Amino acid sequence: MGLITDQMPPMIEAFPGGPAFLTSLDSIINWARSSSLWPLTFGTSCCAIEVMMAAGAAHHDLARFGAEVARPSPRQADLLVLAGTIVKRMEPRLRTLYDQMAEPKYVIATGACAISGGPFIYNSYSTVRGAHEIIPVDVYVPGCPPRPEAFFYGLLTLQKMIREGETIRKPNERRKPVLANLPPGLTLEQLRKEMIQNLESHSVTKFSDKPTGGF
Amino acid sequence: MTKEELLQQVCGLADGMTIQEQSNQPTVNVPVEKWLSIAKTLKSDQRFQFDMLSDQAAIDWPQENQIELVYQFYSTSLGHNLMVCVRVSRQNPIAPSLYQLWPISEWQEREIFDLFGVRYSDHPDLRRLFLEDDWKGYPLLKDYKDDFMLERPW
Repeated sequence: MGLITDQMPPMIEAFPGGPAFLTSLDSIINWARSSSLWPLTFGTSCCAIEVMMAAGAAHHDLARFGAEVARPSPRQADLLVLAGTIVKRMEPRLRTLYDQMAEPKYVIATGACAISGGPFIYNSYSTVRGAHEIIPVDVYVPGCPPRPEAFFYGLLTLQKMIREGETIRKPNERRKPVLANLPPGLTLEQLRKEMIQNLESHSVTKFSDKPTGGF
Repeated sequence: MTKEELLQQVCGLADGMTIQEQSNQPTVNVPVEKWLSIAKTLKSDQRFQFDMLSDQAAIDWPQENQIELVYQFYSTSLGHNLMVCVRVSRQNPIAPSLYQLWPISEWQEREIFDLFGVRYSDHPDLRRLFLEDDWKGYPLLKDYKDDFMLERPW
């Protein structure tokens, strides 16, 4: 974003209705960024298999969201997908990879290990307890490992975040979307009511009932 | 050669060798002072011909104050395998290196030295393999603790 403000100040100055021009430019740039995320796969353990299934295999087609060009080099990538346990010896390498990526850069942490250390949080001499101790993380995808659908949800959330995010006037400021992909018109209150109804309707179990499955 | 014959013949090599019962493959316990000469026999003897060292591991037994070294052997020509358990003291764990017989054990022994602190005599290059060179302690011992570790609260 700094590039644009440096290169185009005369344009911005000369344009009397500045805010309008800037807003539309912002939205175009953010749309372009969000639709062509090039992920750098940082796969250190089992979550990497799941992300490979999401990114590389035909069944869960990641190309639908414009993020299928997985790059092995940080110079060509702008989305760092952390998939797997981060150990102490990996810590400086991860930091180097993050520093080598060009701005703007985004980070998705998938799986319990990259979020908090996961099953290795206690009594471990080597596991870093969460990727946020090393680099800033934009989106967390929980799971052990997460399903490809969960990974897609995280990616769509990040896209939404990029589209509503940085502007020329406020560079390096990102807003995390709350309930990013709720259908329009649905509020949190309605969800909560529906959840309570569901829970209450299933609160009584009759043990004399015969199983309904076709076994 | 059947499993029983193999065990009988291996145990006949020296005194003090016992068969370990609770194992699904032929397993013998060998005293550490006789281990190097027995290993030489296991490799060169026509009856055994263990030319492949598949795996090397270690177990920490703090109650018995011992570290158990486990070796997995396989013979590619005769097709039988053998597990050997050697127990060393926990305070001063010294074992003979098998580098001269099976060169693969150089890195295996470096790993066990790295994580358990077992010293292998006559090892050509006994340095840490996975952890940093200035690491203190041996983290796979049961009583290992450091400042970074979080104690489990329950």
